[in-house]
Amino acid sequence: MNRPSPARLEVMIGEVLRFGTMASSALFAIGLVMVLAGYQSRLAQALLQAALIILLATPATRVIVSIIEYFRERDWMFVVLTLVVLAALAGSVVASHL
Amino acid sequence: MAGALGVALGLGGGIFLVPFLTLALGFPLKSAAAISLSTVIATSSSVSARRAGNQLINLRFGMTLEVATTAGSLLGGITAQLVAESTLERLFGVVAVAVAFVMLGRINRRNVMVDPTVDTGRLGGRFHEAESGGVVAYRIKRLPLALFASFIAGNVSSLLGIGGGIIKVPVLNAWCGMPLRAAAATSALMIGVTATGGAIIYYGHGDLRPLLAAPAVLGVQAGSWAGTHIAENASVKWLKLLMSALLLVVSVLMFVRSLR
Repeated sequence: MNRPSPARLEVMIGEVLRFGTMASSALFAIGLVMVLAGYQSRLAQALLQAALIILLATPATRVIVSIIEYFRERDWMFVVLTLVVLAALAGSVVASHL
Repeated sequence: MAGALGVALGLGGGIFLVPFLTLALGFPLKSAAAISLSTVIATSSSVSARRAGNQLINLRFGMTLEVATTAGSLLGGITAQLVAESTLERLFGVVAVAVAFVMLGRINRRNVMVDPTVDTGRLGGRFHEAESGGVVAYRIKRLPLALFASFIAGNVSSLLGIGGGIIKVPVLNAWCGMPLRAAAATSALMIGVTATGGAIIYYGHGDLRPLLAAPAVLGVQAGSWAGTHIAENASVKWLKLLMSALLLVVSVLMFVRSLR
């Protein structure tokens, strides 16, 4: 069976998402166990906070990786499209402080 | 606390989690939507990480549509001020019923072309399909409609706390020429970015509490793992039936919510 070989970008995106998912889930789990065990410490809160931020940063990182890869491939159309997506996310950060 | 409801039809599962959190556990809608969006991101990332490399995800098409979903998500706040929530929910219910019937009517029609050498155009794709035992190809039709559906999906995403796959997947499958599995995989990747836009806004306003997100995210992770395995082993026909049934259930939930 000749399956088409996966594009570089697809593999890179997979790695980013895998790392982000594992890191945030692990921190969520540790933080949650600490809280349930009665350690309402600042450390537990910090771990949960970090988990949430990694969770939110993962898709954004995936977009940034895409921009770099399309730039490397000189695929300008998609450089622009992915930049617009990143700009919209940046817009959300701005909107969250309004 | 979190019923593991991540279903691998390209949906984040938020469509079930939000009604559960608000109706059964009595969370305020804002808090429920924020928690739900964080589970949508988690589902999207973990499902796409597992799928990356098998060509089901159409990156170029997905990233094109993401422009529309993120723009829609950013403008979601504006829509919220113009349209009453109950109106939005009723509208959503009507659309869901209509799409369910379109899908049922097309249950035996396939979008894939078994000849893998066919020209797929700039946005089409090809992938290895177990059911036909070879590489299949598809072309994308009606790009403006796909963009419009994505915009609407992004728009309601932050408002209702869902990923928006429930809107995109049926439209992409029924009208835009995309095979169901490819549409689901591509949507699953897109909803992560779409939900992030909304989640950031809730987080900034203090409506997304890490301690409440933790159990929901972990529960949904477990559910989505099971969902991926189900989706990979089920036939397309069965997935279409499931999708239609979900749409009908969701429309009922939406009508119930709009009456509260």
